[in-house]
Amino acid sequence: MATITADKPILPKRKPSFHFDIASSSLVGLTVIATSVILVLVGVVLWLSFTEGTPGDPVLQYTLEHYTSLFLDGFTYRVLWNTMLFSLTTLATSFALALPIAWLMERTDFPGKPVVFTLMTTALLIPSFAVALGWVFLLHPKIGMVNQGLVALLGLSDAPFDISNIFAMGVVEGMNLTPLSFVMIAVVLRSMDPALEEAAAISGAKPWQAVLSVTLRVLLPGLLAAGIYVAMIGFAAFDVPAILGLTRRIFTFSTYVFWVLTPSEGAPEYGSVATLSVIMIALAALLSWCYRQAQKQAPKYAVVTGKAYRPRIAALGRWRVAAIAFVVLYFIVAQLLPLLMLAWASLLPYLQTPSAAAIESISLRNFLNLPKELLWRAGSNTAILMVVVPTITLTASVAISWVVLRTRIRARALFDFLAFLPLAIPAIVFSVAALLLALFVMRHFAPIYGTLWILIIVYAVARLSYGTRMTNSALIQIHTELEESAQVCGATTGGVLRRVLVPLLAPSLLYAWIWIALLTYRELTLPVVISTSNNLPFSYLVWGFVQASAYGSASAAALLMLCLMLPVLLLYWLVARRAGMIAPR
Amino acid sequence: MIGIRNLTMTYRTAHGEHLAVKGVSLEIKQGQFYTLLGPSGCGKTTILRCVAGLEHPDGGEIEIGGRTVYSGANRTWVPPHDRHIGMVFQSYAIWPHMTVFENVAFPLRHKKPKPNRAEIRDRVAKALALVHLAGLEDRPAPYLSGGQQQRLALARALVSEPRVLLLDEPLSNLDAKLREEMRLEIRQVVERLGVTTLFVTHEQIEALTMSDVMAVMNDGHIIQEGSPADIYAKPKGAFVADFIGRSNFLSGKITAMTGSNGSATATVDTPIGPIHARVESEAQIGDTVTVAIRPENVTLLPHGSDPGIPHNHFAGTIDTIVYVGNLLDCVVSVGKERVRLQLQPSAEVDRGAQVRLAFPVEHCLALRA
Repeated sequence: MATITADKPILPKRKPSFHFDIASSSLVGLTVIATSVILVLVGVVLWLSFTEGTPGDPVLQYTLEHYTSLFLDGFTYRVLWNTMLFSLTTLATSFALALPIAWLMERTDFPGKPVVFTLMTTALLIPSFAVALGWVFLLHPKIGMVNQGLVALLGLSDAPFDISNIFAMGVVEGMNLTPLSFVMIAVVLRSMDPALEEAAAISGAKPWQAVLSVTLRVLLPGLLAAGIYVAMIGFAAFDVPAILGLTRRIFTFSTYVFWVLTPSEGAPEYGSVATLSVIMIALAALLSWCYRQAQKQAPKYAVVTGKAYRPRIAALGRWRVAAIAFVVLYFIVAQLLPLLMLAWASLLPYLQTPSAAAIESISLRNFLNLPKELLWRAGSNTAILMVVVPTITLTASVAISWVVLRTRIRARALFDFLAFLPLAIPAIVFSVAALLLALFVMRHFAPIYGTLWILIIVYAVARLSYGTRMTNSALIQIHTELEESAQVCGATTGGVLRRVLVPLLAPSLLYAWIWIALLTYRELTLPVVISTSNNLPFSYLVWGFVQASAYGSASAAALLMLCLMLPVLLLYWLVARRAGMIAPR
Repeated sequence: MIGIRNLTMTYRTAHGEHLAVKGVSLEIKQGQFYTLLGPSGCGKTTILRCVAGLEHPDGGEIEIGGRTVYSGANRTWVPPHDRHIGMVFQSYAIWPHMTVFENVAFPLRHKKPKPNRAEIRDRVAKALALVHLAGLEDRPAPYLSGGQQQRLALARALVSEPRVLLLDEPLSNLDAKLREEMRLEIRQVVERLGVTTLFVTHEQIEALTMSDVMAVMNDGHIIQEGSPADIYAKPKGAFVADFIGRSNFLSGKITAMTGSNGSATATVDTPIGPIHARVESEAQIGDTVTVAIRPENVTLLPHGSDPGIPHNHFAGTIDTIVYVGNLLDCVVSVGKERVRLQLQPSAEVDRGAQVRLAFPVEHCLALRA
């Protein structure tokens, strides 16, 4: 997981020269294709934001009207304000939880660290729509159990809690992103040379002075980069604001794009959707620019050599119990409780507080009533995606990394930049772009709308920045002389790839493959605007039930999904442990 | 066996262009052990990598065994896998996912025509025996010590019986003792097989002890080429004199000359007084030169004793004495200059003592500045 922060473009000064042959040409070809798909998707959105019309119109009208009406509409600013509040609440919540936990894991003698690391890594992968659904069942003003219980107990006239406001949504998202923040902060903490602190101590600084004047100052750029990264994810988040806020018309940008695209009556205004997407891209680009700036600052202080130091471990002493309580409480409230609610709701015909009557009415009816045929189709679609998407993504990633790191092709910096783009572009924009591309451009010569292909392309491209970051850092660790010696020994580029590079990359590739497969499994945002009843994945099935307010079916399907995920999760855990990816030191 | 003519090579980096090799020509004869010696960044490794085909030069010509593998003029380019060379890398580049056997068998498996299994086994065993690694075939490569990895890299480079062996600072990752052992061993193996060898190093001791011919490089040029003994005794220019061994340098103008060019003796007016020195290159009265003398050639005499020669002796004070085991490293102030010299560890000298230094004329070399 150390690779999460290592996504700067890395261009070594010396590269071996290479000879154009079949293997190297196909690697370059793959790179060009993969990066052009990204360019085309962004290009289509940009182009259509200046047009008026629907797919099938013979001539598209060019106009600036979408931009003017959007900028003159007060509601746009409301959404912008909401999105900002949501992002900041997300960031504040996740850091408030993750910072202390990361510090406990990295710098104290907290007991049972491997368990916490494993739980955190697993929690990274739990679908956030499942957790969000759990929170609906807990705190929804009408059906939420806590509200129901308190109203009955205290004889209130109104529900005391409301989950459907921007702060509550931010807190839920923040709790969901705590594992991510945790992993990033842990890496930053781990990369600090303890000698810096020790030098402060020897120079006469008291421990708290050393923390203030050295530790925090050294860690600040790294933490800032992590913070901007989390804010970026909050900005692009769809699951939580969609499930908690959409029914109440409380929008962030992601859900607003979705809402404009799926009007309750009439045809959607594709031009407006494209324009909103362009604005999202611009804002996301601004954020990722900040992120890169912060990252550039980070190596100045915190050592990002990948070298792991052994810092001084503080003894918790009598604070031990409090520390354990804090961590356990986080897991119970943020992860276990919502998932238990999901299970509880899936067993009941309608949501009710635990009582003799409720237990009486427990049954598996919600599961048995799920539409079998649709379930089977969604399941097999998801299975295909989980195999095909990581394979395509990683093949393209290896090609891109090889071109960027091992050749002197002039455009390599451009390829590196394009492969970074999917990190910056919100997922909802990607799926909007794919939809527009399929409807406006490809409908005549390659009708991919409604097929699994459109999902495969979008999923694979959206994961490309993650994939290339993994393959970049893996390739950098392979000494170029290992390849050069194979060349000198008579191997062609293809031979070097087959006999040396791929075997050496294999552990990293396997890890990344399973990780991307799991992300594919839990993905909801990408399919949400391009899925039809034909090519829907499992997550979209759950989403469909939520949209229809069929909460019983939704919770049953979500729970089923979680259960089916367990064997893959176990496999991931085994691979990750072997690769040393889940480990306190 | 290896011919390089007018080779140039530029690196293009984010910080601009860097001309690494500036028109180098050299000729390595069949069976010769040829060393490129120079400080880091002088272009020596670049030349080696150009011979291997791992770099694309900008211009010039490279020939291996009569076959042109690169020519800037004719746009000839043979990729590395077709050059039939053996190479030992600085990091050894032992493939960690293979066993010792697989590592050595690799070049044979990519040879055309491919030898059969029995022959591969046979030749791998022979190559391993050559470097004293027999019996380690099945061991995973990462489970070898540094010295063993070095031997393995050598076996892999030699197994397909290449006509040319390239060595890229192969000893720099070994500890001092092992390095000395491997110097001898590499030299013996290479000699036994009669393979033409191009060796790159920044350690003068390796160049001096191993080479038939060595070339001293600086800043992309070959400064001097010759046998180790020649280069040590008759360095051309201050750079070589300082880089090979150590030298004291005193500069001044030539005031008088005796003898003819080639074996002339000049009187050089240095800050500590006139010094008589040999002149190898063409020089005239009035030229500014640098007189070089190696620390081991400076003689120390007690104060007031008779040096026995009419010139080249100077009074001084002992400044520092450093004990380095097999000798004493000494610095003597003569006027404003400081002269370094080496003494036997048994020599009885004290700091601050008044002494006399003698510079034997045959060891004083006047180099053009």
